[in-house]
Amino acid sequence: MSTETGTGVKRRDFLKILGATGATTAVVGCSSEKVGKLIPYVSSPDNTVPGVSQYYATTCRECASSCGVLAEVRDGRPIKLEGNPEHPVSRGAICATGLSAVQGLYNPDRFRSPMVREGGALKATTWAKAYELLAQKLGEVKSKGTASRAVFINQHETGTFPGFLDQWLAANGMPAHLSVDPAAPAATIAANQKAYGAAWPALDFSAAKLIVSFGADFLDGWGHPVAQQLDWADARAQLDKAPQLVYIGARRSLTGLNADQWIAAKPGSEMALCAALSGQGTVAAAAEASGVAAATIEALAAAVKKAGNGLMAICGVTTADAVECGAMVAEMNKKAGSVGVTIKPASGHAGYAGLSSYAELAQAVQRMGNGDVSVAFVRHANPAYTMPKSAGFAAAFAKVPFKVSFSSMPDETTALCDLVLPDNHWLESWGDAVSAAGQISLQQPTLEPVFDTKATADVLIELAKKDQAMAAKYPAADFRAWYMSKFPGGATAFTTALTKATVAGAPLVAASSKGSAAGASPAPAMASTTGDFFVVVYPSPTLRDGRGANKPWLQELPDPVTKLAWQSWVEIHPQTFKKLGLTEGQHLTVQTAAGKITAPAYRYMGVRPDTVAIALGQGHTAYGRFAQNVGVNAFDLVPHGWDAAGGLTLTASKGTVTVSKDVSQLVTTEGSARQHGRGIGQAMTLAALMGGEEGGEHEHNIPGLPSQEFQPGLKSPVAADAQGEFADSKAKDLGMYNPEHSSGMEHRRWAMTIDLARCTGCSACVTACYSENNIPTVGASYQGRALSPSTWDERPGANIIKGREMAWIRLERYYEGNENTENEFSADFDTRFVPMMCQHCGNAPCEPVCPVYATYHSPDGLNVQVYNRCVGTRYCSNNCPYKVRYFNWFGYGEPERKQYAWPEPMHWSLNPDVTVRGKGVMEKCTFCVQRIREAEHRAKAEGRSVKADEFTTACAQACPSRAIVFGDAADASWSVSKLAYDRRAYHVFEELNTYTAVVYLKKVSYPAPASPAKG
Amino acid sequence: MTVKKKWTVIPGFLALAAAATLLSAYSGASTSQGLRVEQPVKFVHAPHVAKAGMNCLYCHSAANKSPDPGNASVQTCMGCHLIVKAGSAEIKKVAAYYNKGQPIPWNRVHKVPEYVHFPHFRHVNAGVTCQTCHGEIQKQGAQGPDTNYVPVQQAVSLNMGWCVNCHVNGYKPVEGAKAAGIPVTPAIEAMPIKKARYDCAVCHY
Repeated sequence: MSTETGTGVKRRDFLKILGATGATTAVVGCSSEKVGKLIPYVSSPDNTVPGVSQYYATTCRECASSCGVLAEVRDGRPIKLEGNPEHPVSRGAICATGLSAVQGLYNPDRFRSPMVREGGALKATTWAKAYELLAQKLGEVKSKGTASRAVFINQHETGTFPGFLDQWLAANGMPAHLSVDPAAPAATIAANQKAYGAAWPALDFSAAKLIVSFGADFLDGWGHPVAQQLDWADARAQLDKAPQLVYIGARRSLTGLNADQWIAAKPGSEMALCAALSGQGTVAAAAEASGVAAATIEALAAAVKKAGNGLMAICGVTTADAVECGAMVAEMNKKAGSVGVTIKPASGHAGYAGLSSYAELAQAVQRMGNGDVSVAFVRHANPAYTMPKSAGFAAAFAKVPFKVSFSSMPDETTALCDLVLPDNHWLESWGDAVSAAGQISLQQPTLEPVFDTKATADVLIELAKKDQAMAAKYPAADFRAWYMSKFPGGATAFTTALTKATVAGAPLVAASSKGSAAGASPAPAMASTTGDFFVVVYPSPTLRDGRGANKPWLQELPDPVTKLAWQSWVEIHPQTFKKLGLTEGQHLTVQTAAGKITAPAYRYMGVRPDTVAIALGQGHTAYGRFAQNVGVNAFDLVPHGWDAAGGLTLTASKGTVTVSKDVSQLVTTEGSARQHGRGIGQAMTLAALMGGEEGGEHEHNIPGLPSQEFQPGLKSPVAADAQGEFADSKAKDLGMYNPEHSSGMEHRRWAMTIDLARCTGCSACVTACYSENNIPTVGASYQGRALSPSTWDERPGANIIKGREMAWIRLERYYEGNENTENEFSADFDTRFVPMMCQHCGNAPCEPVCPVYATYHSPDGLNVQVYNRCVGTRYCSNNCPYKVRYFNWFGYGEPERKQYAWPEPMHWSLNPDVTVRGKGVMEKCTFCVQRIREAEHRAKAEGRSVKADEFTTACAQACPSRAIVFGDAADASWSVSKLAYDRRAYHVFEELNTYTAVVYLKKVSYPAPASPAKG
Repeated sequence: MTVKKKWTVIPGFLALAAAATLLSAYSGASTSQGLRVEQPVKFVHAPHVAKAGMNCLYCHSAANKSPDPGNASVQTCMGCHLIVKAGSAEIKKVAAYYNKGQPIPWNRVHKVPEYVHFPHFRHVNAGVTCQTCHGEIQKQGAQGPDTNYVPVQQAVSLNMGWCVNCHVNGYKPVEGAKAAGIPVTPAIEAMPIKKARYDCAVCHY
């Protein structure tokens, strides 16, 4: 357009005029007249106050540990799970898997009603019709006299239900059920049982001097994850009296990364090493078998001897000789006299009681294949996914005339069933569990069933009532009535006991004893398999055996070791990676005698160069939208064989690796695995700490030391440092930054300490933050983005590849040492785990660059993000040295958008105290400001001030390491104000003068316990 | 020539600006002040408050102990109306909901945006009268549901400026009492002005 012609209005003039009119019209656009609804109760329940949370004590059933949890219920719906501080096992802590249970409860893909197979597909039906069909089929089976050939496969659980189920089955003339758990360490249980007379003795880490772990991943999910982590962190926090950990295994797991030394033994050679350590074999033979230097083995033997009865030797290998190896490891403890000291058979975990072995399941499948099974029942177990392909489950199952599922979630097994009678979620059910020996942990519903589902126990009672021969045995109306009639003291005693979470006693009915059926078809010994690589298959610390894959929080949570999400990967040593000429993310096909999988390569220096490792959990084909098209199923690599205890041998095979031309980008949240001298995760040696050095050496090498010590940032009023320009000017009104202001806000300084000597990198804090703060998950395949108007990026994790993850806490993992990893293998490297969230800088770089004052420093020390002010320039994120600000690229909270993160009814889990952020808005850690305000409200209502350590943030509350402490650093009575001045305290990027409110305590590093040089 | 000519469009823009300003003033700018919505039941506050002498907390039972004031359950309504005015057309509607076991789907009138947290109990416990924000609610429906009926309407702007004005300059108990129709006693006159925190993160999170 020419400026010389027409009206002659120049572009600048036009904009000026438009600016004036635009400003006027814009005001009109803000009015919102959308009318919402205000729905009261029909009749208000007792003891509820709308808008105030209630906490119901119940028992988590996500794994066999059965931790006590408190369900935070707001207006009738559980919105978050927290650890129950009264519970002897979980002691107030909770893991990421447990936290994600609400996403199982509100999963949009759950069965919404009973289903029946019609014309090849499962179609919705009514309970009346479902009962009728099942009663008819049961009648047929019984009249034919084939009831004894029924099979009931239940996901392993303890408590009264298994016994109740066995009674019902027996009344129908059916054999006892199979209680299967593919993630349970069957070999360890068998070895423990034999050596100590207890399936899972308590591990007293604090009493130990030296822990030798033969592949026992006690921080990854092996055994009792939360209880073990609490004890481990407490033991390590003793600093100079802390136990040392030596990890033996071909892959350095999360437990291995927390070890002081990694001994990278070949898979299957652990027993030879153990023999050498306990004097039953020669060092030379062990060195030959394991590929570990003889000097290291000798040094370890010396360290074991030196530890005396402070030895804790534990075994979690999953090879063909796992039971024998476990027995030999137990012998080491007996010889050292540490049974009863570090290993306590008298107390411990009882969650594995009544577990059936893989071999028993395999035999049942064999009977199915022979046409010897008249009716099959499955409940929550998913053998079609968790049994290796070579077991031929699908084909055998197809030969069963009638197959019933009680699972509440569609999965690969229910897809093969004829009738689905969906069970309630455990948050909707009555029940109990055994977690600690001699204690039962009680379970109560926390809401009415979300969908048209019924508790399996109620269904069994209902079916019994329909059968004249059985009706007399089941007079109770439902399972709850039945249970209360048996519970000592009845419903009153049950209610009283609920407040304490556990009660001494045993399940009300014992389950039938399970016969162990090993014997035929054991797994082949590692040596007898062929291939260039050892293939290590391990349960994922978060998804476990695949159960977690339907929960977006667990999919989005980066694996604690590899930092990969929403995918499968093949871990391969950088040296081998270079030798094969791979590029990052190049696809590898791993093949064993059992099968093959293809997944992208991930360079990991924590595997032996002759080993590849693949995690279980992904590769689902019918487990809901969040698991769809994500990764591959590593069970396909596992041979259909078992160890002496009948346990599936996950790591039993050698295999070959072929390189594919395909390359895909890894879905990672990691920038670099190295610190590049930035001193983010710092450590100091024990010697330096005990020598009294003030904090030891600062590890950063960036020039420019802080001009002031860090304490003023925490102690002094905000106005004096962050708002320095105001402090000098008495003429200006300081407002709430004035210490004299009646609000008293200026007297608080919210702060946090994170003890890196405690942190294990488990990432429970990350998921707790998602749950508390309504953080959207962005990686599901349906949440992709338009690549062009006609094509859509449907790769799971596509948004994360673009750097659009929203986790307010990032669990950073850095390696130290072993820089030449591409050219040589060394097991000698250190790992630092650093939870990184908004540091709430007293002098924050993000604040001055915001053009609209959407981010600023509050008088009580918070770096505040005001969502409704934010216009999304993202300057703040660019200027943040910690990279902890996250931008809403899409409307994740808008149901009509494709990227909606909480598809109905998942949005029921949203926390009403926290704003769901809109598109184009920046967000970040708020120090759980809603909890600060809630505590202030509560204190005000009670006419007092907030008490020291009265409340804490969601991350600190969940942390099973007790690494995070939150509070008021300006008040000496809060724990945080002492910890912030610990000798190990440091601030990340202190040299930037940001005066952060998050103080890290340095990790303490110990010399390798079995170092040959040291002798 | 062009210099002169270009200013000829100005009146056009000015007219547009004036129209926008008028429109904005007419619609109450960025507020929904005055919003009134027809309700499923023609509820009347005045007979409950003025005639029956009921306290606000009888129905809005959580207003002094929760961020959410709460609203009467249908059962609470029927507690009295099973007998009182049971024959009236409006009460029959309430009874119908109750008999079906359904809640009354009230339309929401007073609402602050999702990014604002307004804890009712902090305000109520500080002595702020309900009428300070909800207007002369005690007079709503004074002539019953059939005569000159006006449903509950949004009494004030509920804009941030309106909130902050009180937080910064303080709540004056005398004015609160006047709004509530409470006689201003010397005791109320002697009550100090109450200021509150006005940091952004007090309400926005």
